[in-house]
Amino acid sequence: MAKFSTKKRRGVSIPQGSTSDIAFLLLLFFMVTTVFVQEKKFWVERDRWPHAESIERIPRNHTSTIYVLRDETILLDDIPTRIESSEDVFISQTLIRKKAEDPELIVCFRTDRDTKYGVMSDIMRQLQDANTLVVAFETQPLLK
Amino acid sequence: MAAIPTASTGDIAFLLIIFFMSTTKFDVKEGIKLVLPQAAEVESGKTQTLTLTEKEMTRIQILPDGQIALNREAPRYIESSELDVIIQQKVQINPDMIFKVITDRETKYSEMIRVVDRLKAAKIEKISLSTS
Repeated sequence: MAKFSTKKRRGVSIPQGSTSDIAFLLLLFFMVTTVFVQEKKFWVERDRWPHAESIERIPRNHTSTIYVLRDETILLDDIPTRIESSEDVFISQTLIRKKAEDPELIVCFRTDRDTKYGVMSDIMRQLQDANTLVVAFETQPLLK
Repeated sequence: MAAIPTASTGDIAFLLIIFFMSTTKFDVKEGIKLVLPQAAEVESGKTQTLTLTEKEMTRIQILPDGQIALNREAPRYIESSELDVIIQQKVQINPDMIFKVITDRETKYSEMIRVVDRLKAAKIEKISLSTS
């Protein structure tokens, strides 16, 4: 009687010996590439932002942040400045340059909630001079 | 010979990755977005003077102590909930109502944000910011 010779199937197995190496490589990659935000001398902590309910998300890639401290120090591009008179044009000059680089520029205000409105008004006037008209006031969610 | 078992190192590494991925917080920007009007060109004569009535525009003046004066009313402290009701009443009178928020230079920034927030919550688009 004829017999069919049956070949034994070899089990296909994916080598798993290197998964731990791959995982550790990924871990090392994340550890090496992570950049921590450095502690700045001029900074407005999140708990100092005003509260608001109607919050909307702002696309990060087109934003430039202006920090305004309670003592009216303004931080733009890591350069601290103050508006002493209406002749000061540092902010408008900087924003004209930024607007030329990115026409969709949105200026975000990270302002201490106890800052007097006068300084904000002065900055906004310079924003208008620079034709940078889209602004966002950074806020934290309203406490329930 | 005693050997340290290494079979689970992959699991440990993946657990670490998952931990870092889940705990990482991205610095998302959130806030109140506004579009400022263009700078007025007074010298060129391009500006127009408009006289608006109370039916067309509501003045919300915020004083340094946080009191709010609506149109010609006497200034008083207005809670956010009451402000919501007032805004709704104004919108019922005129759906295209313009709200002019006049903030004193000495007023706290958070007071201006509170009023603008209430206007934004009521889906008001015509908001004007100015200072006194």
